[in-house]
Order: sequence, then structure tokens, then C-alpha cells
Amino acid sequence: MTTQAVSTNTLTRRAKFKRGSFFESRFFFYLALTLGLIFTLLPFLMMIFSSLKTNTEVLRVPPTFLPDNPTFSNYLTIFNDPRLPLLRFYANSAFVAVFNVTATLFTSALIGYMFAKFEFPGKRILFGWFLTLMMIPSHITMIPSYLILAKLGLINSLWGLVIFSAVDAFGIFMLRQFCETLPNELLDAARIDGASEWQIFIRIVVPQLSAPLATLGILGFMGNWNAYLWPMIVLQKVEVRTLPIILTWYNSTHTGQGALVMAATVLITMPILLVLVYFQRWIVKGFVTTGLK
Amino acid sequence: MNLRRKKEKRPKGGLTIAKGRFVLGITIPLLIYESLGLFVIGWALVLMFFNYSSGRLGGPILGLGGTNPFVGIDNFIEMFSGTSVEANLFRISLKNTLIFAFAVLPLNLMITLPIAYLLESIGERFKAFYRTIYFLPVLTSSVGVALIWLSMYDPQAGWINAIIRLFGGTPVSWLSDPRAGFAGVSVAMWAVILAYLWQDYGYNMVIFIAALQGVPQELKDTAMIDGANRWQTFIKITVPLIRPTMLFVCVMTMLSSFQVFDIIQVMTNGAPGNQTQVLMLDIYKNAFRYQRLGWAAAESFILFLLVMGVTIIQMRMLRTEWEY
Amino acid sequence: MKKIMFVLVIASMLLAACGTGGQVAGGEKVTLRFWTHTNNAFNAGYDALITAYQAEHPNVTISRESFEYDLYLQTLSTAMPAGEEADIIQLFGTWTSQYYERLASVPADVMSVAQAKKLFYSAPIGGFIVNDKLYGFPQEFNCEYGGVLVNKTMFQAAGLAYPPQWKTMDDVVADGIKLVQRDDSGMMSVAGFHFTSADPIAFSFLAGIKQRGGDYWNADQTGFTFNTPQAKEQITWMVNAVQSGIVDPMVFNDATNPVIDAFFTNKAAIGYIGAWAIAEGKTNFPDFADEWDYIYLPPIQGKPVFVADSGWGLTVSPNSKNQDVAWDFIKYVTTDSKNALSWNLASGTIPALPEVAKSSEIATTEPWVAKALDILPDGEYLGNMPDRDLVMYSIIYPRILEAMQGVTSVDEALATIDTEANSTFK
Repeated sequence: MTTQAVSTNTLTRRAKFKRGSFFESRFFFYLALTLGLIFTLLPFLMMIFSSLKTNTEVLRVPPTFLPDNPTFSNYLTIFNDPRLPLLRFYANSAFVAVFNVTATLFTSALIGYMFAKFEFPGKRILFGWFLTLMMIPSHITMIPSYLILAKLGLINSLWGLVIFSAVDAFGIFMLRQFCETLPNELLDAARIDGASEWQIFIRIVVPQLSAPLATLGILGFMGNWNAYLWPMIVLQKVEVRTLPIILTWYNSTHTGQGALVMAATVLITMPILLVLVYFQRWIVKGFVTTGLK
Repeated sequence: MNLRRKKEKRPKGGLTIAKGRFVLGITIPLLIYESLGLFVIGWALVLMFFNYSSGRLGGPILGLGGTNPFVGIDNFIEMFSGTSVEANLFRISLKNTLIFAFAVLPLNLMITLPIAYLLESIGERFKAFYRTIYFLPVLTSSVGVALIWLSMYDPQAGWINAIIRLFGGTPVSWLSDPRAGFAGVSVAMWAVILAYLWQDYGYNMVIFIAALQGVPQELKDTAMIDGANRWQTFIKITVPLIRPTMLFVCVMTMLSSFQVFDIIQVMTNGAPGNQTQVLMLDIYKNAFRYQRLGWAAAESFILFLLVMGVTIIQMRMLRTEWEY
Repeated sequence: MKKIMFVLVIASMLLAACGTGGQVAGGEKVTLRFWTHTNNAFNAGYDALITAYQAEHPNVTISRESFEYDLYLQTLSTAMPAGEEADIIQLFGTWTSQYYERLASVPADVMSVAQAKKLFYSAPIGGFIVNDKLYGFPQEFNCEYGGVLVNKTMFQAAGLAYPPQWKTMDDVVADGIKLVQRDDSGMMSVAGFHFTSADPIAFSFLAGIKQRGGDYWNADQTGFTFNTPQAKEQITWMVNAVQSGIVDPMVFNDATNPVIDAFFTNKAAIGYIGAWAIAEGKTNFPDFADEWDYIYLPPIQGKPVFVADSGWGLTVSPNSKNQDVAWDFIKYVTTDSKNALSWNLASGTIPALPEVAKSSEIATTEPWVAKALDILPDGEYLGNMPDRDLVMYSIIYPRILEAMQGVTSVDEALATIDTEANSTFK
């Protein structure tokens, strides 16, 4: 068959395809996707609209869609509430997220690099140990970790919250894989030039790892920012709490004030949402390559 | 950095020494840190054989023994054949967890795969926009999601019931009516499942999108030239090619749904009447509300076995895929 | 670098551990730590008294810290084994039977058990007595039984007599039926008589048993006896009341539309809840415009005997280095009539001291207390349960709610309550 004939055939096929069933039409695709879009957006819209209504309007039956008299009074109440210093909670969450991410990225890179490029006795065992660790879900160590923190008096301390998360077996595994692709010649050349191992790591290896580090970093940031269970166990005093727990606390201390709670939800979830949307490409890449949730 | 001098001074073995120092410098602190982790895991494994409450003084070592007696495997026997309140609650939680996981999986796949396919099939113009919106719930904190849906499910003023009323149906008290159910599962559980799915479908969706992008266009084109329509192409060509991804997605979805906690605790905390109590929630309540730490540790172990079981199945299946 | 970080972590752990100390032993200056649960009205009352006490005792500093209710128990459970609890601990009386091993008993020279029993109402002080030893002093009489909020506007709109002249509980139910409102799709939008939250169900259940001449304790208080004819009668009465249509337990329960929220957002005409709800409702719902009142229900049968929980009070840790000063402060707050009165007025609670309860200030500021004076003497202490919250909120309330919702039969519910409650004695 000549190329000519093929293209004509393809064209005819495509023409036929265009007259195909409704379900294969572009229109249907867009329709289905748009319906899904509306369903996805509906709860967000509800949250935003409710935050602009008064507490009494939110209780109306049947409910209103758009606010009757949109008002920012709920936001003002929250900003003026002395028991809810939002900035401080943002700072708490930021501290936890930044510390954990920095610590795990650093240790994962260093240890991953070590496993990839160095031989030493016991390496197999140690690596096997990390592999096992990776598979153990965190909830099983939750209780004894809590007891240890209690004994050490680290409950209600942000340090206590992060101390167990400095080393992440999964990160080590990931970065080890990346490090294995680094050409040995590069490293040996640097050694010949007299660089110390440490300098090799910082100056040569780390820059090469920028992609996986960025991916793991943003994933870790998101996970830490939104973490709920462990912070809830460890942080019992209001001042040291992170944002998700503050939101639950605010909700339980303001029952029956739906609009106010929705405003708090907006203030606590939206800013970070916007940040994460900005970085979504990295996050998606992270999900796809690591399967990490 | 004086390179010359270093090169002259060091004998050939110096490289090994430097390397050795580097490795030691890392592994020693690491080992110390990991021994803490080992200790923690060890304690978890020991705790489950005790009847332990931190309110009691207990014995000398870590509070074990004494008024926190060693009970051997009594906790486990009680969990599966006992009649006490906790044992009943454990079995209910286990059942609910399984129901939740096995309901979420097919529903999730039925939503995410088609959406991914549809997104992949439309032009570039709006793809990014649609994808971003679909992805938003994944980025939202579970607490926020739970509170929003809590409000949506309000029996009188919530939007879900409002929509139902609009279409002339009877509104349901979604999160607090223990009588109503569908296909043997209570409405409260369905309500929670829906909220969970809403938050979660973006995740599998992007994984499927990546997988679908990996299917060579030529294969699909050839099939279409041969007269297949979209559906046939999809079933016969695309699906077999993305099987490893599908397996992966199935396992990951199951694993997360076994360990679901945040969204359920905030939305219902197990209510109405334990219909939405899942294992993770039961563990949390037993450990931190009722101070039955030994019992909670035993429950964690069961959950751990469940998770490990699924993980091992995954590894087995994926390995076979590769051998293909 | 790894080493440095590790050292940093250890150092910060040590610092944090040091930070939790805080008591100055010996010498003249005394610092006391004081823990309370989060209730703004309560804590405002405490702060005023702390200032006054510190003025009279310049060498004493009292620093107060509060934790929200759900976490308060958990915090105590963590801190006590580690010896880190505060010197003065606000404790809910009924919890004393769980924590007495970790509390200091009241020294004889501060007050004897007999004196305390004479001074306070029996239900509040009863909570703080375990094995004939006194572990603290109560500040309020937590009465969850018998009081209801009534919405005057709704009563008048329905053409009912106001103030209601109820002679029996059936009268209340009759009014409740007339006050119900439903929306177009049949769902109840306003409950006539909302009593299907945890506290009202649990307390009216126990009171009902007692008023019918039964009891729920065995002879030596080592077990429960819930499976009795009186208990069955009481649950049956409650189920029938619900089925007559005064409230829809699917839409009105503790999780959805609890009593306070429902009443103060015009979704309940009669709301059964303790008097402490008044302060809470007024603060949380300033837009509530209907006229309302707080009145007491007639007994279901016979004399209005009821059970009460004890109430919040103050205790001392045995690890405190300044127990004498702690007890002195507590006596100052709880047994001095003027101080106790100021606290009760600030917190909106029913006083634990009869002398204060009958005072004219209480009568003017908290008129519902004056109305309660008739029944307060009939209140008995709930009894020392191994886990009061578990029994009341996780066993009695859900099982009875299920019977009301038609999920289980009355017999099943009762049998389950009996089994589950008794298993807490293990």
C-alpha cells in the first residue's frame, strides 16, 4: 500500500469516526467532564459562599445558594478573636513542615548516596532493615512513640512532634535509586582533585539530585502541612497546635455557627491550597513516580 | 583548599580512609537514631501482650507488669471470640474497615479511569484547567474536606438534601440515621465514602493519566484504522497495557482506605452508633480516650497484618507482571 | 552535619524537659500551677479569685492553664504518671473514683469528711469522697436533670398556656406534640420537646428508675443492675414519647442538632438540658431573639428524686511541693461564701453550697437556681462509676437512642446496657 492510499484510507476512517456514536463525540466528553467539574467544585463553592453568609442564614431551610447580603463579618470575627492567632498557627505548621522536609531531604540524600556509592560491611543488612521499615505503617509505632514522648516530657512540644520524622526510609530508597545513576567517573575525578567526601556530596551529588529532591520536598511539605493524627496526639495545648487541628478545635468550640466555621476553613485551607496548586506539576510527578500518598 | 599538598601527603589507601570516615560519620548517628526506632517497634510488639493503661502506675520496667499485668495472647483471643464491649467494637470496626475499603475500590476505579481517559482525549486547550480543578480536593486538608461535607450533609440546611428536595425526593438524615441503608451498608457509611472519594479521585486520576500517556499512539491509531471504535480500542489495547498501573493503583487505594482516619473522625467519629467506626478510629479511641494501650497495640498489630498482607500480594503480583 | 543535628535534637529535648518543671521549693516565694478545662465563664471566675488571693498573699503566685474538655482527661492521664501534673487540678467530681490514687486527700486539719458533708449539698460532695476519704471540694451542683428551656414565642404561637402548668410528664408530651413543625418534605424542622441528647437521656433514665422505686446499683456498689422492671418501664416511656412525635431522633440527637444549638437557633420549642447551657447559649447565639425561660419538669412518678453528677471542683496533686498553700487557696475559693458566690455568678452554675444557693444575689441573677432549690435536696450522688463518661455517653445514651430510633427493641437495649456497663468493672 502506498502512503497516498493509506492517508486517504485514514481520512475516510476519520470521517466515518466523526459520524460515530454520541458517546464518542467530543461534545459528550466535554459534557461528562464538565459535570464532574461542577461536582468537584460544588463543595468549595459552598464553603466560600457560606463563609460570606451570617450564621442564621446558613441555617435556613431550604438553603440559599448565593449569600443574600455577602458580608465579611465572619472573617473579621476570626481576625479579632484573641484566642485564634492565625499567624502563630501558620508559624507552627510552617516550622513542622519546613523542619521535617529539610531533615528528611538531607538525610535521605546523604544516606541514599551512601548506599548507592559506597561499600561497607553490613550494608546489606542495614539496607534490608530500611526496606522493612518502609513497609511498616506508621500507626503501629504511634502508641509507643507517644509513651516515649510522655516520659521525656516532650508532649506539647513541636520538637517532640518532629523528632521521630528525621529519617524517612522511603526517601532513602528513592534517592538511592537516583544516586545509582550518577556516573562514578564524576565522583572519582573529584576525589582525584582532592575534594573531601563531604564536598563531593554537597558540590556534585546534591545538584544532580535537584529533581527528585524537589519532588520529594513538595510532597513532604504537603503531607506534613496537612498531617492530622500524630500532631493531634502530641500537641494538646492550643498554642502549639498546627492548622488542621486548630480547625477541628475551632469547629468543636463553635457548634451551631456554621458560617463562622466555614470562614475559618477558608482561612486555614485556601492559602496552602493555592500554594500547592502552583506546585502541582511537581506533586503530580511525585505521585506518579513514587506512589506516595 | 590546598590540593597539591593533599595529593602528596596521602598514600593510595587514603581514599579508602576518607571514604571510610565518611561512611562511619553517617552510619553511627544513623544507627543510634535507628536504635530508637527499633526500641519503639519493640515496645509496640511487647505492649500488645499486656493490659496497660498509663493512668496506672504499673511495674518497674516502663510501667509494664504490676497493675499493668502481662496477659499473653489474651488480648487477641478476646478480640476474636470475646463478648466484652471492646471486643464487639473491634469486630465491628474491622468489618466496617473492610466494607469501606472494598466499596471504595471499585467506585474509585469507575470514576478515575474514565475521567483520566476523557481528559487524555480532549484537546490541550482546557486539559490543564480541568485537571487542576479535579486535583484540588487532593490538595485540601482532610479536616477541611470533612467539615465542608459535614455541612453539605446537614439534614435540614445542607445542600445535598436541598438538591434532593429540588428533585422531589425525600431528604435523608445522612450522618445520623441508623436505620437507612443501601445494599446492606448504612447511609452514613455511604456518605463518608462519597466524601472520601471526592477528596481522593484526583490522586488516581493523575496516575492513570500518566499511564495512559505511556500508551503509544501508533497502537491506538492502528486499531482505529482496522475499524475498532473507541471502546474496543480501549478495552483491547489500552487496558492490557496499563495493567501494571491498575494493579498498583488498586493496591495503593486499598492500603489508604484500610488506614483512613482523619476524615471519618471529624465527620462522624464512628457515629451513628458505630456504623462508621473503622479500625484506625477504634485504635485511637482505645489508646487515647480509654487508655487501653495494650489492647490498642494489639489492634494496631491486626491492622498491620492486614496492610502487610496487601503489600505482599502487591509485590507478588507486580513481580509477575515484570516477569511477563 | 548529621551529628550536629542529632546533638541539637538531644539538646532541645533536654531543654524542653527542663521547661516543664516550674515549682520553687522552700523559701518564701511559692508558685502554684493550676489546671482547668476550657470554659471561658468558669475561668474568668477563677482569674478574679486568683487576683484577689494573690493580693492577700503576696508571696504566692498562681499560674492557670486550661485544656479543652476532650483533651483534659487525656492530659491528666499523660501528666500524672510522669509526675508532671499541676499543683491544683480542677476535676469533675465523678472522675475522682478513677483518679483518687493519684490525688492528695484532704488533710484532717483542713476539713474532715463529716464537716464537708454538712457544708455542701450531698450530690456535689459525694463525688469527691472515695472509700470514705475526701479528695477535693466542689464548686457547682451539676444538675442535668429536670430543667428545660422553653421558647415563649413558640408556645404563644401554638396557643398553649404560658408559663406552662405541667402537672405530669404526659402534660409536657402533650404540649410537645403541638409544638412540632415539619417542612414540606415531611422532615421535622422544629422539635416539640427535644430531649434526645446524651445528658438528658442518661439523666432522665436514671432519675426515672429511682422515681419508680428502683435502683441501678447492686448492694455494695460493685456492679450495676440495669436490667430491672423499673428501668424497662422508663425506657418504654421514653420510646413511646418519641413515637408520639415530639421529636425525631434521626434529625435531633447529640451529633446533629444537639439541644443547645437547636434551641437557640429556633429548632426546638422545649429543650431538655442542664442550666449551664444558658450561659453557653447566650454567648454563642447572640442573635436569638425569642423570649425564653428555664423551668423544671414534674417528676415522672412520686417524689422528684434524681441523681446528679457532682460537679467541677478543685483537687491537689500529691506530687505538689506546696500542698498546704494549695489547700488554703482551694478553701478560699470553695468554702468562703463570698468567693464561692462570685465564682458561681461568673460561671452561671448552681452553687454547691446551700448557703450560697439560697442567697438573694443568686435569686436575682440566676432565677432558675431559685426554682431549683426545691428539688436540689432530692438529688443523690450518681455513684462511683469506674468510667462515668463511658457508661453515660457511650453505653446508656447510644443504646437508648437506638431503641428510640427503632433499631433495637427495649429489651435488647436494656440487656446490652446492663452487660456493657458491668464490663467496665473489670
